[in-house]
Amino acid sequence: MKTKSDKNRKQIQNSDQASEANCWKTIGVWGQSERMRCPALAKVIHCRNCEVFTQAGRNLLERDLSATYQNEWTLVLSEEKEEVLPDTIAAVIFRIGDEWLALPAKLFEEVIDPERPHQVPHRHNPVLMGVINVHGEIQLCVSLQKLLGIEELKNHQFQRNVYQRMIMVNSESGYWVFPADEIYGIVRIHPQIFQNAPVTVSKDKAAFTKALFQWNDKEVAFLDDELLFYYLNKSVCKPERLKSTVE
Amino acid sequence: MLMLLFYLGDILCTIKCEKVREIAPLVNLKTVRHAPDYFAGYFNYRGLIVPVIDLRQFIYGHPCHKRLSTRIILANYQKKDSLSIIGFMAERVTETVMKPQDAVLTMSLNIRKAPYLGNLVIEEKEMIQYIDLQKLPPKLDCLSIPEDGDSNAAEVD
Repeated sequence: MKTKSDKNRKQIQNSDQASEANCWKTIGVWGQSERMRCPALAKVIHCRNCEVFTQAGRNLLERDLSATYQNEWTLVLSEEKEEVLPDTIAAVIFRIGDEWLALPAKLFEEVIDPERPHQVPHRHNPVLMGVINVHGEIQLCVSLQKLLGIEELKNHQFQRNVYQRMIMVNSESGYWVFPADEIYGIVRIHPQIFQNAPVTVSKDKAAFTKALFQWNDKEVAFLDDELLFYYLNKSVCKPERLKSTVE
Repeated sequence: MLMLLFYLGDILCTIKCEKVREIAPLVNLKTVRHAPDYFAGYFNYRGLIVPVIDLRQFIYGHPCHKRLSTRIILANYQKKDSLSIIGFMAERVTETVMKPQDAVLTMSLNIRKAPYLGNLVIEEKEMIQYIDLQKLPPKLDCLSIPEDGDSNAAEVD
């Protein structure tokens, strides 16, 4: 490595603007001394606009090719490229009760450990679970399970480790937090694989489902986020949003 | 029109970018015995075997230096119905410039041996050698690629 940098320095010295090897570290903007300043700085303001600096950067590319670099790229280029279809969207798959659901990943703000929401007195809306403290800010906590009419699982028969989580999503009208029984993660899906949502047993869920898609032998309901948030706003909030009073 | 600048030795050259598929770093090439010296070798480009031509060797008779900025320009060619790719190895492939469509100046010079070399591009008062990728493959005797169908496998040097 040392020989390379030596060589590099030599090349800079050999170049037209010879004498100022590493000048940006001595008399340039990265220099320590205040008294010695490059006169060219008055004109170019920053070293990165200076021809000497640019040339030094170019010279880095003039180094000899190392075998590891060459081997690495040989491997990278020999692999076939995965073609991503246009309009592919990223969605987060999560589970509530027995149902696998998905929402666009761009809505997701944060996933936090489950916490018990503080109940709001004199509110008997089954969808509104209460308020919850997320990083010192009070957010509304709602139950998608109740909203979508998903039955609660009585006996957990999962062999693998599953962790309950709270999901915070960001809608245009503000944040919503809701608990999920499990989060799988982000998948990339193409609208091509979407199937129309059939009228399932639970009608509420069907109303909020934009489309269904197959994922690992499971049927996942891709939720209509606009409708979901619209409905949440309407059912839970009075005109004054809690968020606006907090802010 | 985007143009790619590179060097062949000390000579600044340029090509149009429209045929360029990708600029790949210099990779390990599988050389072939008895192939002409400008044929740098084959490499596996995403499952496709692509021949690589050492442009400097082909035009100026000296092989490219193996440096970090020496790269392979992958160009698309139409071969009957299928697409074929040829890689061109060149030095200091680091820059592109935007040029108007009519930037390539047609010279009266007509070199029969190298019809791809006739033209020039002017950039900041400097004359840059323009290489016509379209006219180049028929002159690569070792490859049977040309669109013109002119592929008499002549003996090379």
